[in-house]
Amino acid sequence: MKTRILQSRQPRIRYVSPRFQGPAVLAFAAIIAIGGVIFWKLVDSQFQRVFLHTAIRGHYTFDSAYDIVRDLLSWHLAGLFFGVFLAGSVLVLFLVAATRNGIGKAVDSLRASADGDLSTPTGTCPIGEFNRFGEKIDGARSDTLASVEMIRGNAAELAAGGMSPEEFRLRWDELKQQIRTIAP
Amino acid sequence: MTGPKAAGDIALVQRRYVYGLLLRLCVNTIGGVGILFLILYFALSRPLPGDYSGVFHALRNLSPFLRPILAISVLLYALLACGSTSALCVYILHKVAGPLYRIELVLDQYRSGTHTRTVSFRNGDQIQPLAHTFNQWIGSLRRDRNRWLATMMDAERHCLQDEATCRAEMEGALRKIAGDMARYR
Repeated sequence: MKTRILQSRQPRIRYVSPRFQGPAVLAFAAIIAIGGVIFWKLVDSQFQRVFLHTAIRGHYTFDSAYDIVRDLLSWHLAGLFFGVFLAGSVLVLFLVAATRNGIGKAVDSLRASADGDLSTPTGTCPIGEFNRFGEKIDGARSDTLASVEMIRGNAAELAAGGMSPEEFRLRWDELKQQIRTIAP
Repeated sequence: MTGPKAAGDIALVQRRYVYGLLLRLCVNTIGGVGILFLILYFALSRPLPGDYSGVFHALRNLSPFLRPILAISVLLYALLACGSTSALCVYILHKVAGPLYRIELVLDQYRSGTHTRTVSFRNGDQIQPLAHTFNQWIGSLRRDRNRWLATMMDAERHCLQDEATCRAEMEGALRKIAGDMARYR
């Protein structure tokens, strides 16, 4: 019973991140829609022409209208497949490149942070989600730097002396508390 | 393989993931085009009459219906292909979006001052080095924090001696900590 209560309290994993997956879905949908419209326009005009031509010519060796346009339809369907697939592949490769670039810079930034560099901006690519993510990392780093700078200033001030033992002890304890708040 | 080297060796986005995504996209596109072909095949495969005038009129009469037939079939194709590709995007891209969302949550927790746990992604998730470097950063901060606290506690031990020694040790410890913190810029 206790386990069930604990499980129900755990946050659910969100399977849709609209800011990241939404634009990708829209871009794929646009490719499919554009491909469909081009296919429709081309096939419509050519089928109209072919049916008219065949009706006037009077060579009726075909069992159905499909037999008349079979080759034409096959070529256009092949064109639609390659067009949509190639454009989709380019989009996939673009997304992968943007991810590698954006997250790569975030990784470099965190690596530099581990070496003490908390001020150099992450500089992720200006694609919405990665840019926002980079800003979040920079925010966390600047908060840490501000906290460390404040503690450092207090430590230096305290080390300079010139205060009563009571005040020194009070501020010493405060400083310890401040240090404990770093990376809780 | 030790930590940093292992992190450097793992690709942010694995090739297998990219190939899998392209393969699924290919299958999806083939499926969409196949459905479009089937719709058009059934719409156009009605047998033509045998005589000259019947065939002539059948072909002439097909023209006005061709545009709506094509429009409906392309619309169906677009809806089905968009639906399946959207599902594919949500499912596949979640392997990147999920870890990003997770790290964002942890960053928010970190900034709000609550306890930050070690980040680990699920099996099959991409951008694994991000979790590794984040853990490295938090780890180095915690090591420094513990060292500074240890320095202060070490100085406090001298308070068992006389007041002047205690104060001198404490001030020395503070100078050491301030100097140590200077590496953060």
